[in-house]
Amino acid sequence: MWLNRLPFVWKQMNVQFQMRAMQWFSFGLIVTQPVIFSAVGYFLARAAGRTQIDLIHTIIGSGVMGLWSTLLFTSFYDLRADRREGTLELLVGSLTSIFSILAIRTFANVLLGSLSFLLSLIVAFLVFGFSPPISNLLYILVSLAVLFFCFWCIGLFLAHSPVVSRLSGLFVNYLELPIGLLTGFMFPISLLPGWAQGLAAFTPMVWAFNGLSASFQPGADPASLWKNWLTALGIACIYLIATFFMSKRVQDMIRVTGELSSV
Amino acid sequence: MIQKIRGDLRLYLASAWYSYRALYAWQTFGPYISGKVVFPIAQMLFFFFLGKLAGTHDPLYIVLGNILLLPAINGIAGVSMTISGERDFSTLPYLIASPAPRGPLFLGRSLVHILDGLLSTIVAFILGVLFFHIDLTHSNLALTVLCILLLSVTSCGMGLVFGSLSLRSRDAWTITSMFFILLYMLSGVNFPVSVLPKFLQVISYSLPLTRGIQAARLAMNGADWSGIQSLFMGEMLIGLAYIVIGYLMFIWFEKLSLVDGQIEAM
Repeated sequence: MWLNRLPFVWKQMNVQFQMRAMQWFSFGLIVTQPVIFSAVGYFLARAAGRTQIDLIHTIIGSGVMGLWSTLLFTSFYDLRADRREGTLELLVGSLTSIFSILAIRTFANVLLGSLSFLLSLIVAFLVFGFSPPISNLLYILVSLAVLFFCFWCIGLFLAHSPVVSRLSGLFVNYLELPIGLLTGFMFPISLLPGWAQGLAAFTPMVWAFNGLSASFQPGADPASLWKNWLTALGIACIYLIATFFMSKRVQDMIRVTGELSSV
Repeated sequence: MIQKIRGDLRLYLASAWYSYRALYAWQTFGPYISGKVVFPIAQMLFFFFLGKLAGTHDPLYIVLGNILLLPAINGIAGVSMTISGERDFSTLPYLIASPAPRGPLFLGRSLVHILDGLLSTIVAFILGVLFFHIDLTHSNLALTVLCILLLSVTSCGMGLVFGSLSLRSRDAWTITSMFFILLYMLSGVNFPVSVLPKFLQVISYSLPLTRGIQAARLAMNGADWSGIQSLFMGEMLIGLAYIVIGYLMFIWFEKLSLVDGQIEAM
């Protein structure tokens, strides 16, 4: 059953990479933006008279921020591009559910955005001499898997919003920095006021990134890591289940009412 | 002569009106004003906390810098989008084929963005006073407003440069977006330009905004005209140079596109 789906998965990912990866826009999100955000953090530290910077937030955090920006804009604009090019009707009309198509596209987008994370890690290693304890390798890998899963769930949720209404575009453009702010990729969320920290707890990436930064530290506490991983996975699964039901409901609704592209 | 000026002025205002109708008339108050509030506050807070992590001594420097960048973002994005937007909606060839003078036609479309940028700045200042307790009691308000107005206009030159690229490349908007992000580092918004390495300082001072933002900061600290004169005039000259360069680029790309038939080809 699953093996039969592999050609579909492969073709969707192939098209997605060709459509998204080979673009200056993607390059900007994956490379330029994280480099500049890191540079701003670096120069701010220099302006404050510091010689050392917080590598996890300033360098690696900017890579995760790059992943978030890439995911936000690619996943959201996927269906918007279909809508503009007139292929949305074909997708909705096809036997394969919108959820399956977007799930694979979003997975490809996460892989694309993860390049940003990878680059930031390379810079941290080569330029700033970052060296996490090798004994934590398993923790780091699990934390990364949890982080990418959380991004996938949120990306899938975002990818569905243009089906519901074209007005969602007005809001998505404003999501990048507020979510970047709440998730504390580039600074610890302990700096935020209490109410903002409470709000941040509802985003799975906060817990996942907490787990990742803890696993980069020597003497990481496994109990704390498990708490972060499980909370992140739990919240991400809530988003995933909500998206699944929303997708089904919207797809059924627009087929019955014929309102696709009218809102 | 007078008739030509009147004709250009009419075209300038008509372009501004159509630009308003196309971009804003369909907007509803809620989403429009939420955009005006959410983006500036998120931008201010993001760099504010980045500064806090870095141990910055004066977080208000960052807040004010990001407020001063808002009219410039509108100026650059607005003018650039004016041209790339025509391309997206497939109306660019009609405009190019029309005999209307290019200056008032495209610059008129930027008027709405200049006004919108000023509105963004006012909203951001109100938010800054409410959330960050910015103290404007000692500022030279008239000069501050003048500097903000100057920033709105000089940034249009940069928008014209990037917008001209739309005639030859569909990636012009991407380049403009990346340039915005570069401004967070190069224009002295988040930290003084003197912190940058020498070669980046040279680039910074060859851009519009750097001097204008410095002048606005001084005016907000109560400086009088003599205190900001050199920065103000420098900003004006750089801005003018970019407007001329952008206009010449537009004319050159237009000619090139007509000769080789490559308009919208890439």
